[in-house]
Amino acid sequence: MAEVIRYDFGAGAPQTVLQGFEKTPAAGRFALTLAPGAAATVYVLQDEPSVARLDAEYEVTLAEGASLQMIFVALSGAQISNRVRIALQGPHAECRLGGLYLPSGDQQMSFNVRLSHDVPECYSSQLFKGILRDRAQSRFDGLIYVAPDAQKTEAYQANHNLLLSTEARAEARPQLEIYADDVKCSHGATVGRLNEDELFYLRSRGITAEEAARLQQMAFVGEVLEMVSDSALRDSLTARVLTRL
Amino acid sequence: MLTVKNLHASVGEKEILRGINLEVHPGEVHAIMGPNGSGKSTLASVLAGRGTFTVTGGEILYKGRDIRNLTPEERSWAGIFLGFQYPIEIPGVSNVNFIKAAVTEHRKQKGLPELSAAQFLKLMKEKMAIVEMDSSFSGRAVNVGFSGGEKKRNEIFQMAMLEPDLAILDETDSGLDVDALRIVATGVNRMRRPDNATVVITHYQRLLDYIVPDFIHVLYKGQIIHTAGKELALEIEEKGYDWLINK
Ligand SMILES: Nc1ncnc2c1ncn2[C@@H]1O[C@H](COP(=O)(O)OP(=O)(O)O)[C@@H](O)[C@H]1O
Ligand SMILES: [Mg+2]
Repeated sequence: MAEVIRYDFGAGAPQTVLQGFEKTPAAGRFALTLAPGAAATVYVLQDEPSVARLDAEYEVTLAEGASLQMIFVALSGAQISNRVRIALQGPHAECRLGGLYLPSGDQQMSFNVRLSHDVPECYSSQLFKGILRDRAQSRFDGLIYVAPDAQKTEAYQANHNLLLSTEARAEARPQLEIYADDVKCSHGATVGRLNEDELFYLRSRGITAEEAARLQQMAFVGEVLEMVSDSALRDSLTARVLTRL
Repeated sequence: MLTVKNLHASVGEKEILRGINLEVHPGEVHAIMGPNGSGKSTLASVLAGRGTFTVTGGEILYKGRDIRNLTPEERSWAGIFLGFQYPIEIPGVSNVNFIKAAVTEHRKQKGLPELSAAQFLKLMKEKMAIVEMDSSFSGRAVNVGFSGGEKKRNEIFQMAMLEPDLAILDETDSGLDVDALRIVATGVNRMRRPDNATVVITHYQRLLDYIVPDFIHVLYKGQIIHTAGKELALEIEEKGYDWLINK
């Protein structure tokens, strides 16, 4: 087993970690600990040659009042697997997860997320979106766990997939395990295709079928890219995503 | 400009257009009226090249050329514009990016260079003024959260940007209050030229008070059963369609 790489975030100024950019690894085992009041943003870019196999594992704990935003952008790799375990262990901890995956060819990408609300009054949201072409496959397993005394929990999860070919396959398995009664939780998953009405509307204005499909894909992924608050980083990620559409 | 000869079109096994004949010359305004479900929107969609419908017979000649095999975008480049009865909402695509993509492609097809950002904004401002559309609509997602009337104004704004030769406006008047109707109709009239033509599909005579047609056609069960001058609108307003259907 690979050595665990640790990040300890203390209270104070928000910190940003870029995984998979230039020299930092896009895969491996990571343990992230957020101390009370810590704030961190973690970006994980997975853009590897299409023979590469990537396994990433994240074990994350958040103490009271800690806040984490974590965004995955999986663009290329023969087989990419992300296993994410997040535990909200102190009240008022907040976690926002975003994910984008764009497998093509025979690529397979998967996310396995377990987000547990161990204590009351925490917030979590998850938004994972995938566009699949050719014979690509994806799988999203997402579990929201709410402990018996984790009252006033707010937890949201969404997974949406766009299939661009008849052979692509997306599996979505959202799960809720809720043992508290005073909670606000929602989850939803969809697997769909480009909207024909929208395509016709765009084309009727002279936009080519290819460009219309690109506009729709950009619109689809935009919601996740908008989570990237650093505008220079957002622009560079958007440009990278665009080359894949 | 447009010659439709014995046009038949179906969805699956269901035949909706059953032998339409229509001749539109440059400079003319034609109105198509008829009860709900008679095939007006289908005719408009077929002319714009919507794939849902299969042309099973007849011809569509536009500027002397058979367009049955052209894609919707090719028809748009050739100067055909469809104002949708139910404009489509496109979440995540802003109105400005949408119309910019359209104008850029039109210019590319004509061999013209892309407009600079400043030129484009100026053009957009000018055309939005025609339908008294607020500039705040530029940044919003296409038609998302627009009221019925705002959607219809947005259609006419797009028409103004693309300057078509043949505009087919499908119930552009429905959902408009009197003021919006006047604004939209005035906009359409301002775009009229001796070398372009307009086909308005409508239920109501009131639109035709503003956009005065040269001909009114009544479509019923997929066929044009009657054609007359502008005075027909008033007669239909008073007597409905039954006297034409039973004739
Ligand atoms: N996509 C479709 N699939 C099946 N039937 C359709 C479709 N579009 C229209 N129709 C049918 O075709 C007929 C004509 O519809 P339409 O052209 O919308 O009429 P109008 O615009 O005159 O009200 C109606 O019976 C309608 O139900
Ligand atoms: Mg209609």
